[in-house]
Amino acid sequence: MARSLSFAWFSWKNLWRRKLRTLLTVCGIGMAVGAFVALVGFSRSFEHEWLRMYESSGTDIAVVQKTFLNTSVDEAAGARLMSLSSVAAATPMILNMMDLTPEINALVYGWRADSYEFDGLTLTSGRRFRDGQPEVMLGELLAGNLHKQAGDTLDIQGSRLTIAGVYHGGSALEAGAVIMPLDELQQIASLQGKVTAFHVRLRPVPPGDAPDAYLKNAQAQIEAALPGLRAVPAAQRASNNQIVLLAHAAAWGTSSIALLIGILGIANTMAMSVLERTREIGILRALGWKRWRVMLLIQSEAAALGLVGGVFGIAVGWGSLHLLAWLPRTSSITPPAFSPSLLLQAMGVAVVAGLAAGAIPAWRGAHLLPVEALRHD
Amino acid sequence: MTSPLLEARELRKGYDDGRIAALRGVSLSIEAGDFVAISGPSGSGKSTLLQLLGGLDTPSEGQVFYRGQALGSAIDLDDYRSTEVGFIFQAFYLLPTLRAIENVQVPMLALRRESSTRAQRAEELLCELGLKERLNHYPHELSAGERQRVAIARALANQPTLLLADEPTGNLDSENSARIMEILIGIQRSRGMTMIIVTHENDIAASAPRHIRIRDGRIESGRCAS
Repeated sequence: MARSLSFAWFSWKNLWRRKLRTLLTVCGIGMAVGAFVALVGFSRSFEHEWLRMYESSGTDIAVVQKTFLNTSVDEAAGARLMSLSSVAAATPMILNMMDLTPEINALVYGWRADSYEFDGLTLTSGRRFRDGQPEVMLGELLAGNLHKQAGDTLDIQGSRLTIAGVYHGGSALEAGAVIMPLDELQQIASLQGKVTAFHVRLRPVPPGDAPDAYLKNAQAQIEAALPGLRAVPAAQRASNNQIVLLAHAAAWGTSSIALLIGILGIANTMAMSVLERTREIGILRALGWKRWRVMLLIQSEAAALGLVGGVFGIAVGWGSLHLLAWLPRTSSITPPAFSPSLLLQAMGVAVVAGLAAGAIPAWRGAHLLPVEALRHD
Repeated sequence: MTSPLLEARELRKGYDDGRIAALRGVSLSIEAGDFVAISGPSGSGKSTLLQLLGGLDTPSEGQVFYRGQALGSAIDLDDYRSTEVGFIFQAFYLLPTLRAIENVQVPMLALRRESSTRAQRAEELLCELGLKERLNHYPHELSAGERQRVAIARALANQPTLLLADEPTGNLDSENSARIMEILIGIQRSRGMTMIIVTHENDIAASAPRHIRIRDGRIESGRCAS
């Protein structure tokens, strides 16, 4: 049977002639894509869990100061909120992150014992804490990592607290968190009279009203009643708060640097390859290959490096995400998230990186004069 | 009056900003079906002339016409090389990563022929040249004579009208040289192709009905056998 030569096979043979160099380049771009998958996946998972937390508790709007990290909303604003016609419930909360042990840190929420946010949680053991008592509740993931159960004690910032109960949460941010009385957390964190935000449940949308318009009206009503504060819809809050934005920025920033290094690796490989194959490119041109076809050959090799590197990188990223989910220090923050869109993005990034890296070598190779390329040693 | 297949008018080619003149005004005309040998001492400009006739390079002055149309303007050089010209080089210039049958298919990739047609045509050509047992061998697994036969098959892949050979026996021993010349002459006669061979070997030049001698970038003499 006659062996047919396809363009793709030709391209693959060119790559495989330098196996070690090709493998090292694939490893380089693979590590870069792996960093992208792990970091961006981690930050997206964080955003996703944040949204799930709001959804499971039924929060429609978060009322915050413009700078989220500065937890200085006056707790007294709650009474004004409750007086508004569109507000069914408004509960103050504090969010903080604390080191519980040298290895484990976790989100710590301060809630009131009567907060509607308990609606999204299910007690698996013990009971709900009481306001004004040195008590906490642990998410089951965190309780497992700390090897604690209801009735045990937990030290936070030098205060010994009793674990009143363990709960199953609707979101990983809650499953890996500590919830304690708002007044106790205010005392520990020296935030007396201040809260991070108010979570608001709106009254049901009146018949005939559009939900979006109703939400906007409620926002406007809250912001008019509480000058200086912002009323942010829950979905927007999940994707657009400073912590999530910071996580996204860090993820993109770090993976961009890794990708740049990966691109340089491919560019170096392709430049070397074109230099070594100058005469062969001359042969192709002598045999009538047009410039664009030579460029296509070189670019297809660069894209193949990106593609294979991308597949390898996804495997690396998948492994890294699961490692993060397994490590006690990070498992309490977020579970591994591996969405199809992230996979497509990772493959797209890898192939585009390959094409970008191969562009200059491909242009150089294609524009060699056949007769000069044939003379090349 | 019909145009010759290939015509060179006052070709000049200089290198190093014109300090080196490889060709100093060469004009010639080649008819379809001609078998022409071009000979001359080293550095005389014979390979440069072949490169200009084959569209591998462009002249500094003058023009090459194929069927009355100017190369490089009326005819795209890439198209010309892929469809009208088959090249055979002294150093074979086979691609080392490809098997013999794959090397023969490389020019066909430029023309988007169907893959089964490409493979079949390559196999037929290699079998015709006595390489049936060498289809799947890489160039480094072949003898010099076999490599040149693969290169001849590759030159014929796109059924060109013009076969240009630059010292095709230059890297071969006498036995293989004779075999290759026998093959080339057989191809030229059986297919009625136009063939131009550049050589510095007198007996090869003598085997061509038309022999052009070049010296110092000019045609010294040209004869037609009766």
